[in-house]
Amino acid sequence: MENGASSEGKDPSAFLGEIIGAPVTVKLNSGVVYKGELQSVDGYMNIALEKSQEYVSGQLTRSYGDAFIRGNNVLYIAAN
Amino acid sequence: MSFFGFDTALPRDRASQGGNRGIFDTPDPFAEVARAKAQAHHAGDDDDVLDFEDTYDGLGDRLNDDQDAFNEDTFGDVETGPVGKDFDFFGKTAQVADVIGEEQVRYNLKAPRDPVTAPASETKTTTGASSTVLQQPKRTGYEKYNEPGYIPDLQAKSSVWGLPKKSELAPLALSQARKMMSLEEVEAQLRGQGAAPMPGGPQMALPPHVSEPPHLQRPPHVHGLPEGFQQLPPEFLQAQFARGVPPQMLHSQTMGPEPFPHPAHAPNLPLHPLQTPNSPAPHPVPPPQHQAVPPPRGPHPQQQHPQQQPQQHVQQHSRGPSAQLPLITNPQQLMNLTEEQRVAYLLEDAKRAKRNHKIFLLSKGNGLMTPQDKNFITRIQLQQLVAAAGNVADNDSEAVLAEDFYYQVYSQIRGAPRQHPHQPLGHFAQTYLLQTGNRIGGHGSRKHNQSADNHMQRMQQQVQRAVEAAKAKPKNKQLIIEGSLGKISFGNAKAPKPSLNIKRPESSEGGKATKKPHTDLSLSDHKSILSNIEGVYNTLMELEDLERTMPPPPSEDDSEAIQKHLEWRQKVRALNQKLWQGLKVMEPIVPNSTTPHPFIAFLSYPKGKKAIPRIFRHIDQEQRVTILTMIVVHLDTLDVVRRAHPVPGETQPALPVREAIDLFSQAVMPSLLGYVSEAPFNIIIGLLGLVIAQTHVQFVARTRIGLGILTMLLSRAEIVKEAGQASERDWQQWVEKFNVLFDTLEPIFSDIFPGSINTGDDMYVWQFLAATGIGASPEQQQRLVIAVKDRVMETVTHSKTLPADMASQRLGNVNLFMRAIGLDVELLG
Amino acid sequence: MADTEDVGSSSVSEPLDLVRLSLDEIVFVKLRGDRELKGRLHAYDSHCNLVLGDVEETIYVVEDDENDQEIIRTIKKQEEMLFVRGDSVVLISPQA
Repeated sequence: MENGASSEGKDPSAFLGEIIGAPVTVKLNSGVVYKGELQSVDGYMNIALEKSQEYVSGQLTRSYGDAFIRGNNVLYIAAN
Repeated sequence: MSFFGFDTALPRDRASQGGNRGIFDTPDPFAEVARAKAQAHHAGDDDDVLDFEDTYDGLGDRLNDDQDAFNEDTFGDVETGPVGKDFDFFGKTAQVADVIGEEQVRYNLKAPRDPVTAPASETKTTTGASSTVLQQPKRTGYEKYNEPGYIPDLQAKSSVWGLPKKSELAPLALSQARKMMSLEEVEAQLRGQGAAPMPGGPQMALPPHVSEPPHLQRPPHVHGLPEGFQQLPPEFLQAQFARGVPPQMLHSQTMGPEPFPHPAHAPNLPLHPLQTPNSPAPHPVPPPQHQAVPPPRGPHPQQQHPQQQPQQHVQQHSRGPSAQLPLITNPQQLMNLTEEQRVAYLLEDAKRAKRNHKIFLLSKGNGLMTPQDKNFITRIQLQQLVAAAGNVADNDSEAVLAEDFYYQVYSQIRGAPRQHPHQPLGHFAQTYLLQTGNRIGGHGSRKHNQSADNHMQRMQQQVQRAVEAAKAKPKNKQLIIEGSLGKISFGNAKAPKPSLNIKRPESSEGGKATKKPHTDLSLSDHKSILSNIEGVYNTLMELEDLERTMPPPPSEDDSEAIQKHLEWRQKVRALNQKLWQGLKVMEPIVPNSTTPHPFIAFLSYPKGKKAIPRIFRHIDQEQRVTILTMIVVHLDTLDVVRRAHPVPGETQPALPVREAIDLFSQAVMPSLLGYVSEAPFNIIIGLLGLVIAQTHVQFVARTRIGLGILTMLLSRAEIVKEAGQASERDWQQWVEKFNVLFDTLEPIFSDIFPGSINTGDDMYVWQFLAATGIGASPEQQQRLVIAVKDRVMETVTHSKTLPADMASQRLGNVNLFMRAIGLDVELLG
Repeated sequence: MADTEDVGSSSVSEPLDLVRLSLDEIVFVKLRGDRELKGRLHAYDSHCNLVLGDVEETIYVVEDDENDQEIIRTIKKQEEMLFVRGDSVVLISPQA
């Protein structure tokens, strides 16, 4: 798993494992963006966010205490 | 498999054999059977089985292939023409087989009709010598046996083809002959023996040497044949050929050439065996036969010559007559024989027929696997299945290895170095046999039952393991196979194929630790409470499961049953503790905390409320009172109390709250009431004291649940008093508490009703007022009536506008209270 | 819910735990095609197939009014019981 050669030294799974608990931005294929704390990710890229906010075209549209995002919709996960 | 019977005393030959023979390199599937038969005979077991191996004269082994000097004579000028398919012995012979069969049928049809025809004259010349003819072929292959030094040589060589020891053949053949002989035949044979002074005495009785070509000529003797003669159809031959049995092929070929030295026979006209009875001349013979037979014949005589030089005197003697044996193609020929010759011939023929029939029968299974072989393969497959299925049998790798043929062979090679450099295969073979279930045990007769059982047992074990492995398998949610090229993961309906393989380094605790600091408490509580509820449900299910498996009540003298019962109780107790822990009832109460007590939070979820009746079934009275106490103490923080006050402007709480209240009334209250209605008086007093001391009573009393709890306590106290169970001191204590409660609530008696008069369900309030009224002193009752008289009047007035049934219901509620204080709504009429 | 839980005390170790904890609770579900559901979660699976009870469905429809202004109209529906196929699910949120 560990790939020491690359500059980051991680593969995607390791990266995701590392940012658990950190504030992240998740963008969906539809363009909707969620910001919140990453609770967990699984192999299907399903995501559990805590205290998340939903942004549709830059506008805050909703807030969720907890949110489960189905992995197939995920475009990217970015650590803030 | 005849290599199992190697005679180890003969290293000379073995060295050469061992080099080019594999374990399974047994070209003759019958070899084992044949050997077994031979051994059986050897042991005195009189089994009348003939095998073609017995007939093998060993000539083929003596072929000297590197002498091509006469090839040109045989094949013509090879340079000028294409070689063609002349060497395709097998294919050609197979073709011929049809023709042979046809010939046979034709002959059968014809023979009876023209018993005396021309061909006889031609054959007569040859039949004259038939008494010797009979024995000639035998001798040609067996000269060596006359010289003791050669016998082992031949043994070894023949074993390459899975042949039994030649030395055994003679007795074998004799016994076979004996078995099937009629009296007449015996006599004939004895006479024949006397008439044929052969050097190799016993060998002269060897029938096997008369092979295919004579067999083709059998029709003439139909009448005298004991068995299976006419049933020999073309298929028989084909079967034999298809079997690819080299010894027989060789044999038939070598028999053919023997007549050859006759100058009259040109290489391309050698076809006596295939001639039809009425057309003895070569010409009418169908072309395919021409092509088919010559090639085998050609080389043989040429090449045999040099090799046979040493025994030439014998050979030459034998050859001439032996050439004539196959020429008996007509019954008439037989007629011309002397009596004993004919008998001897018939005898030979009968043996031959029997032997061929036997071969035919045996040949059915050629090329097919025996049940043992199948079982062996099945075991290997099952074993692999087990190994692949995430192996239950990991702990007994020995057993797995024991099942592995290749491992066994390997360990034989490594572990047991050949004591006998010349007998490596013996070990292999033994290993194989052991693993396949002791074939050696099947000597003489095919006793496979035992080994079959053995196989069945093993297979059952394997199947069992496979099933266990399959059962264990679903626990691995996903199947990921890591190979040298990376990971392959498989998905199924229950566990879809993941796109990422995420390791969870922190076992949830680590993950929580990192984010805990900046996590809002109530939020994280929200999830942990839900987890608690989940845990409680799991424990409940375990308990309920255990309940179903409760052993029958043990009788006094059955110590085993008592033991079982004790164990069961132990389990129940452990689960009870687990449940109790999960409920978090005993968590310390933090005063003035912003977060509710875990148990109260537990009750704030519908799932939590619904769990209470089930929980109460599994806990003891002490635990129940603890729960009740916990609820009473936190009565004003209970969600169904805390949120039960309608927001200003609303007549009733929000729908979710109403649902929660309903659920609490239906799920929790009955459990609590169940306990309270049996609780000792001092507990009731204590609980009332707690409500007064710990909670905001006026706030609580304005909720349905709060009032419900109070009503519960008040009515229980009244019942205790009515029953005379209350001691004077307890009652005094109770009255004190009651007075405090009454004084506290008196200002709000009119406010404890939900909403306006139209709101409807206010029965619980009247119930509370009734309970209060019964326990109240007359003075308190008066104050009570004054406090609620407006509501009473309103309700009576309102009920007049309602339909009769609803009206009576409302009035009934009011009357509940009125009667408690000795009044009746009728009086208000 | 019976055998799947062996973590017990830990709350969310994988995303679907969040959904599992919301069983028998009211959840908000965002679907593809500008649809939302709110209802009690009765059942789910790993594909996010859901069974919801007492569901309120909200559909957002973009329409042009007389002035060619885009307005968003919402349509609400009530369903007693609903099976939601997992592939249309975008987001599930427990409504505490």
